[in-house]
Amino acid sequence: LTTIDKQSSMFEDVEFCVMSGTNEHSKTDLETKIASCGGIVVQNPGQDTYCVIAGSINVRVKNIISSDKHDVVGATWLLECFNNKTFTPWQPQHMIHMSPSTKEHFASEYDLHGDSYITDTNENELKDMFNRMPNMKEKVPLDMIAELEHRYSWDNSSNIFRRCVVYVDYFATVNNPDTKIDTSSLRITALQLRFHGARVTSNLHEGLSHVVVDDLTHLEEIKSVRRTFEKKFKIVSKSWVTDSLNMKEIKEEHRYLL
Amino acid sequence: MEKNVQRICLTSNPGPAYFLQVDWKKDLGNGFNVTLCDGSSAWTGQVPEDDISKEASDMEMDRQKYVDELKKALVLNVPTTNKYNYDLVEDPVDCYSFTYEKKLRDLSFKLGSLRLTKSQNPAEIIREVIIYCLNSMAKLHSQNDHLQKENGRLQSDWKDMHEQLETFVNAKEELEQDLYTKFTHVLNEKKVKIRSLKEKLEHNDQK
Repeated sequence: LTTIDKQSSMFEDVEFCVMSGTNEHSKTDLETKIASCGGIVVQNPGQDTYCVIAGSINVRVKNIISSDKHDVVGATWLLECFNNKTFTPWQPQHMIHMSPSTKEHFASEYDLHGDSYITDTNENELKDMFNRMPNMKEKVPLDMIAELEHRYSWDNSSNIFRRCVVYVDYFATVNNPDTKIDTSSLRITALQLRFHGARVTSNLHEGLSHVVVDDLTHLEEIKSVRRTFEKKFKIVSKSWVTDSLNMKEIKEEHRYLL
Repeated sequence: MEKNVQRICLTSNPGPAYFLQVDWKKDLGNGFNVTLCDGSSAWTGQVPEDDISKEASDMEMDRQKYVDELKKALVLNVPTTNKYNYDLVEDPVDCYSFTYEKKLRDLSFKLGSLRLTKSQNPAEIIREVIIYCLNSMAKLHSQNDHLQKENGRLQSDWKDMHEQLETFVNAKEELEQDLYTKFTHVLNEKKVKIRSLKEKLEHNDQK
């Protein structure tokens, strides 16, 4: 290691332990680079080791993590330092594992997902953070989206039908989802409704807000079902949807009632 | 040259079907030729342009309106054929008069009449009528084929587009829900922090 040209001294006297490299940068490659910046490389982490670098997670890395004594930092951080030629502070996205003291430090600065409590975020950081977040199994229910949009006054934009639960009459037999009429133009209407926030259901049920029809074939049948419902839905013609979309706001139903 | 063949019944001889062929250039108002046949005999005659104008003025009708009426009576195959009466009467010997009338409730009014002469070569005329019918049938067949193919294509295009739209809408809904979910998580983390800071603050105040 004595033959290495010294390029920077940003890691002067800092001790690293590289456990694994990445596809682009091998372990030795990373070690050489550390040394060229004045850092010290050891093969096993000890008391004076600043952190463990891991490009990929292998058995040794897992052991280090379970011992909970050292911070394990992704090789991306190291590469960022090399690129920027500065000792970049750790950020949540760099951390593979944190020792208890580091964790505490981070907890005062960042939330669980790595968003800072103090510094403003921006589109890219937010995007990165969202991408790092695991896919939540439990999605927020649609009602909650409607509420959020309402609370922040986002509810008059493109999701004009957010509060509507709609049955669209494109089934040959009312209330039978197996009898879809393939080329019914109402199928496009249903997609338009969904695209603009509505919940479209394939059966008439209590709690519906609207039924959209094109011709009047099923009108009587739908009305007789409505008589059995406690909460009455409105039966409107297709043009209610198109007109509302053209105006970018929900049109009063009374002109479209059937 | 345009041409049309239709089947008519004669008032004086309602039994057998007669075939009425009318041909004209561009517009019926320019005059037309009439050919009538019953399968064995054929009669032919002409209506010149001047006669049409004359008939119209005799009837005190607007010429265009009169031509439209002629079209309905002689050219268009009106499904309710009972609206018109046709008759062929041997006038003097070897001269025939063909009349067409429009029926109006109880009375009927004569739209026109013309002299037809019996053809010496009816077989040739009948052949022509049959050839015309076969040709138009073939034309309609190919047109029908074309339209059916076109319709099939449009339907499959529609289906493709619908499927695409559906995937877009699904993707939009998923993306939106995913973003909102993550957004609420991060937002709630901030609220937890605010709550804890608020508690700390209240705690300090109490001291």
